[in-house]
Amino acid sequence: MEKLKYAYYPGCASQEITKEADATTRRVCKMLGIELHDMPSANCCGAGLITDYDHLLYLSLNARIFAKAETMGMDIMTICSTCLMVMNRARAELDEDAKLLEEVNAILAKAGLHYSGNIKVKQFLWVLVDDLGLDKLKAKVTRPLKGLNAAAFYGCHSLRPSKVLGFDDPERPTSLEAVIETLGGNSVKYKGRTKCCGFQADLVNLDSAVGMTTMRLLDAKGSGAEVVVTPCPFCHINLDNYQSMAEKSAKEKIDLPIFHLAQVVGLALGLNAAELGLSRHLVSSKGLLKGLA
Amino acid sequence: MGEGESSAPKPYWQTYAVEATEGMSVLEAILSVFEGEDPTLSFRRSCRSSICGSCAMTINGFPRLACATQLKDEYLEGEDITIEPLANHRVIKDLVVDMTSFWKKIGRVTPYLTPKKDLSKEDCPIKKPINKKDEELIDSAQKCIMCATCNAACSALEVDKFYIGPAASAKAWRFVGDGREGKSESRLMRLSLEETHGIWDCVRCVHCTQYCPKDVRPLEAIERLRARAIEAEITDNHGAKHVESMVASVKRVGRLDEAAMTFKTLGVLRSVGMIPFGLKMGVHGKMPHPILFPAIKDIDEVKEIYKAVEEKKKDGKK
Repeated sequence: MEKLKYAYYPGCASQEITKEADATTRRVCKMLGIELHDMPSANCCGAGLITDYDHLLYLSLNARIFAKAETMGMDIMTICSTCLMVMNRARAELDEDAKLLEEVNAILAKAGLHYSGNIKVKQFLWVLVDDLGLDKLKAKVTRPLKGLNAAAFYGCHSLRPSKVLGFDDPERPTSLEAVIETLGGNSVKYKGRTKCCGFQADLVNLDSAVGMTTMRLLDAKGSGAEVVVTPCPFCHINLDNYQSMAEKSAKEKIDLPIFHLAQVVGLALGLNAAELGLSRHLVSSKGLLKGLA
Repeated sequence: MGEGESSAPKPYWQTYAVEATEGMSVLEAILSVFEGEDPTLSFRRSCRSSICGSCAMTINGFPRLACATQLKDEYLEGEDITIEPLANHRVIKDLVVDMTSFWKKIGRVTPYLTPKKDLSKEDCPIKKPINKKDEELIDSAQKCIMCATCNAACSALEVDKFYIGPAASAKAWRFVGDGREGKSESRLMRLSLEETHGIWDCVRCVHCTQYCPKDVRPLEAIERLRARAIEAEITDNHGAKHVESMVASVKRVGRLDEAAMTFKTLGVLRSVGMIPFGLKMGVHGKMPHPILFPAIKDIDEVKEIYKAVEEKKKDGKK
């Protein structure tokens, strides 16, 4: 089989606030034989905010990222669902409209760049399930999760708009649960797994943000989850960092550890707490690790 | 099926067995229940061909037009198909919801063209067709059939019932994006006010665009409204400030500078309010360096792109 290699786009969040997701992804990919190639000159996708400012600027900035990956001769792999959604929306719009692609290339030309329109943008989750394959993942498991009750939390942007993402079913997704089961965990069922974590309202309307975060956490907790697993660093920020605010709003202790996808994979591949960067989480996972020891 | 009468607000489930036929829609299944086992079952429907927008309901947890949803697609071996009234709306009975809040929101955006005053007869919107470019941009927003699936799917409405919502936002864009409209700016002002729970409360969850049966793409309408508001310098709110700080951050360093963004979005006073939270984050190594934030490689290319887009915008205005 040809070696799996990607132009690696961790996204802004995982270069700073959720660094542990980036570090663990790198470790885990190395163990799984997935080659990640850095994109030191890649810019931010705009996280939906630049889309709200100027449509052409948003398309051009994303096309610049695609142009960089094209020169590397690789598809892009990201560990951020919002980057995934924003980049794929831009990609689809440029795929469908040759005139628009030309207009964007005229802008890129001013910076000496060109995008020919042949890029795929994938999420780490897709790479695990589709490109690597769950059998290969299973073969690498050294510390099975012993039926750990894990709630898969997809959030919004890893599933929608499904027309441009086209990976998993937006209403009945199975990929994240499949990974959890492959690692020896038990994926619990609950309603809110495809709903919004509230992140995009954090700085704009904190009450709304915490309201959403609270609902998702209580929902997952109510299903018997001992841990929540998410492929998105923004969902992680709200479910973990904002959990104390959610507890205040719900007037009850929630105490639910939140893992990045790479961390739960790393856990089953035998990485320890320090290697997983678990001390960077605000909600402690010490109890959970004891159960697995 | 989830039922609930206004006198008995506690919802309950009732199970019906339906003999499925080839090509049967969810609405046809409900009609077969109504015509047979349970003539008291209440639901709305009219055209049965996704034009009237009456039969929106929650099918297997997501808002859909019952007439446009195939029963077969919703069926999973050994599992019931669940049908509930639309979310984010008050239930009147069974599958019938009160649409008052929906219409009030549409009313809040003045859903008709308000031309400039003192127009000559030739410039009267009835005589003057919309220009092609405007039409392209507002066309999807015109396709709305007022079924309320988007409002039912909306994450922001789930936690704030006063939020204007995707349906009314798309309607607002239909007029703001029309060059013949005379009050675009005051419309944008009203939509941007924080106390009116306007366009900046959308959380970009994409659910509205995903579930709209007519491809109205309300999120795109909201994005365009926001861009027009910023262009019109209506930026005295957290949402617009957040966007402006992101635009500035990417221009300066090519990526998101979280500390600077928090400060610019919230202003001095609210940023100070975030200090205890920031300290807690700091203990876990989660605070970005507030002063030294390195730029990406080849940042000059990004600056060139900004410059080229700005120039193009200026040329377009000439």
